[in-house]
Amino acid sequence: MAFFEQHIHDAPTTFLSKYVISFDHKVIGKQFLWYGILFLGIGGMMALMIRWTLAFPGEPFPVVGHFLFPNTNGVVPPDTYAMLFTLHGTIMIFYAITPILIGAFGNFCIPLMIGARDMVFPTLNMLSFWLAVLSAVILLVSLFTPLGGAAGGWVSYPTLSTLIGSPGIGQTLWCLAIFVLGVSSTMGAINYIATIITLRAPGMGYFDMPLTVWGLWLTAVLNALFLPVLGAGVLLLIFDRVFGTTFFLAGAAATTGSGDPVLFQHVFWIFGHPEVYILILPAWGIVSDLLAFFSRKPAFGARATALSMTSITVLSTVVYGHHMYTTQMSPLLTQSFMMLTMTISIPSAIFFANWLGTLWKGSIRFQTPMLFSLGVVFVFGLGGLTGLYLATVSTDLYLHDTYFVVGHFHYTMAASVLLGGFAATYFWFPKMFGRMLNETLGKIHFWISMVGLNGVFMGMMIVGYAGMHRRIYNPFVYEFLQKLIPLNMFITYSAIFMGFGQLFFVANFVYSIWKGPKATQNPWEVGTLEWTIPSPAPHYNFDVIPVVKCGPHEMGNPNLNGRDFQYQTEELA
Amino acid sequence: MTNLATKNLSENEKGEEIVSSIGMIVALVSFAMLFATLMMGFAMFRFTAPVWPPAGMVKPSLVLPGLSTFFIFLSSISFIWFEKNIANKKGLIFTIILGLAFMFTQSLLWHQLKSVGVLTSSGIYPSIIYTFTWIHAAHIVVALGFLVWLLVVVLKETNTKALLRASSVGKFWHFLGIVWFIMFLTIFVL
Repeated sequence: MAFFEQHIHDAPTTFLSKYVISFDHKVIGKQFLWYGILFLGIGGMMALMIRWTLAFPGEPFPVVGHFLFPNTNGVVPPDTYAMLFTLHGTIMIFYAITPILIGAFGNFCIPLMIGARDMVFPTLNMLSFWLAVLSAVILLVSLFTPLGGAAGGWVSYPTLSTLIGSPGIGQTLWCLAIFVLGVSSTMGAINYIATIITLRAPGMGYFDMPLTVWGLWLTAVLNALFLPVLGAGVLLLIFDRVFGTTFFLAGAAATTGSGDPVLFQHVFWIFGHPEVYILILPAWGIVSDLLAFFSRKPAFGARATALSMTSITVLSTVVYGHHMYTTQMSPLLTQSFMMLTMTISIPSAIFFANWLGTLWKGSIRFQTPMLFSLGVVFVFGLGGLTGLYLATVSTDLYLHDTYFVVGHFHYTMAASVLLGGFAATYFWFPKMFGRMLNETLGKIHFWISMVGLNGVFMGMMIVGYAGMHRRIYNPFVYEFLQKLIPLNMFITYSAIFMGFGQLFFVANFVYSIWKGPKATQNPWEVGTLEWTIPSPAPHYNFDVIPVVKCGPHEMGNPNLNGRDFQYQTEELA
Repeated sequence: MTNLATKNLSENEKGEEIVSSIGMIVALVSFAMLFATLMMGFAMFRFTAPVWPPAGMVKPSLVLPGLSTFFIFLSSISFIWFEKNIANKKGLIFTIILGLAFMFTQSLLWHQLKSVGVLTSSGIYPSIIYTFTWIHAAHIVVALGFLVWLLVVVLKETNTKALLRASSVGKFWHFLGIVWFIMFLTIFVL
């Protein structure tokens, strides 16, 4: 027996071994999906509270306000506001997007798409999920500690995050939660890297892998390299807070010796910049695949797309300084970082052009996953272009820490990734649960989300350009910002509209799991390996390990008879 | 002789070997990034300080850190000896004993520092000494757990699976030795 065939164990029978302590990559993927969607809801509610405060300062938050904030008659208090934006960022990045894109679709898609029966380290996989749960519990517990949860921003810069800035235990628990989550994600990354290197089906070279797998693999590499950097940072912060070390304390804050608060910023962004690519790379891969599948054409320049994603991965490690132009960095350094950052636009432009090339003259099917993928093309284009203003030192000095930054990174990290995640959910739902999601509800969900999020994030960029700073409880105490009240109200209404649209998704998702129409083996008519097996994917995926004979997007070939796609297991027509 | 280099492996066992080395190497790269970040922070403090150690501190004597270095060096050597033939468990037992001796000298070091009034809160240099040795020692404790587990494995059987486990645990143990040596040089000697 060759190694890639993997032993087949009996299917688990008890509830505990089947759904809770499962070693099966498909079940772990679904667990991560539920986990991510739960936190997406929590983070989204927090976003609505932030938006409410900014549009209607001093007015009680509707419906649940009186229950949540009884001391202030339902108005979000300033300290809670700081906690809300801190935890909104933390939860969305580490507990919603990471589990959905990397945890859920990484686990579910990698073995299926490369023709493997499971991950190489199933136990590590199981531990990775349960450590993520432990981390989530720590984070949620921190909300109920005497002084509340962390409130120093999701970046937790000292001195705000030291004992002087946040004396409560909430910040310590935040650091601990992030550390545990880092361990969990690193475990996942080790698993993904080893699986993709060793378990590709016979005949599948690296360029025969679907681009989804490319994206996930590059993400795993960045995760394994840079999460430990953040781990070291929060570990030192924990030591500063618990054992009285002085790494990040300086000036009057330090009783003896002297640390350096800016050191944390360096450490944070050495991790933090790769992190934004950790979040976006899986979405890029998924979109590159889906655009080809629904245009019924081979992906234009698939090899170039894969290579430009790789070069972005490499470049992403050397540009972190553009987050710190205002920390009195030497001009020589800021200019170097500016140039390196601008360099990223070359590979980005290459794969973006490839996306457009894929769409060009395709016979496009506007099904829900395709709509979401096209949405990603639009919002990522906008997000990428506005990034140029922030990479340039001269414009960044003005725009730094304004809502322009918030709008920009929400376009790239939130809107693109969220739409990419939804595209993936609509696309792989049949293979996950064996049923189809409702197309009409999906399309309503798409249009509401698309209009809503553009209203929110475009509005944010405008108010930011007008000078409104982020993280201020009530910006309208400043006279020059009072004219922005109507625009802020528009943003908030857009956010509420978008939040309302998600109800369609939740209803559709929950209903379709049990009551949706049964999915056929290959509902989207595409040729990658996961569609050669029944829906939902059976225990241990493949009866016989497939032999790969062509690339993942061989579609619309005139030599094909009767259908316009071919499976990866078939000789190229 | 039972060792990985001379043994004829089946297709499946070769796969197992590749997977476990890839897994362990990626894990070690992650650990290396953790320690590299700590070292980067240390370098920043070190090179921006006008005098080192700062604030009138003196470096601790080299006796205890030197002993630690000696023990961990010997433990790596004895592990290499064990890997040559894992049927002979003496090498592994020596490694465990030397690892415990390393932990003992480390705790003596902490005790000695504390007794002369050098605490974690006494400034950046003690912060670095305590934190870095703690983080390293935490890894050593985990690695000692792995070594004991490995001893249980090889007492039961010395097949290819045990060889692969020995090779993985060995990589981790040698890695921690190297990290300690770098810390010894940069924090205590230079």
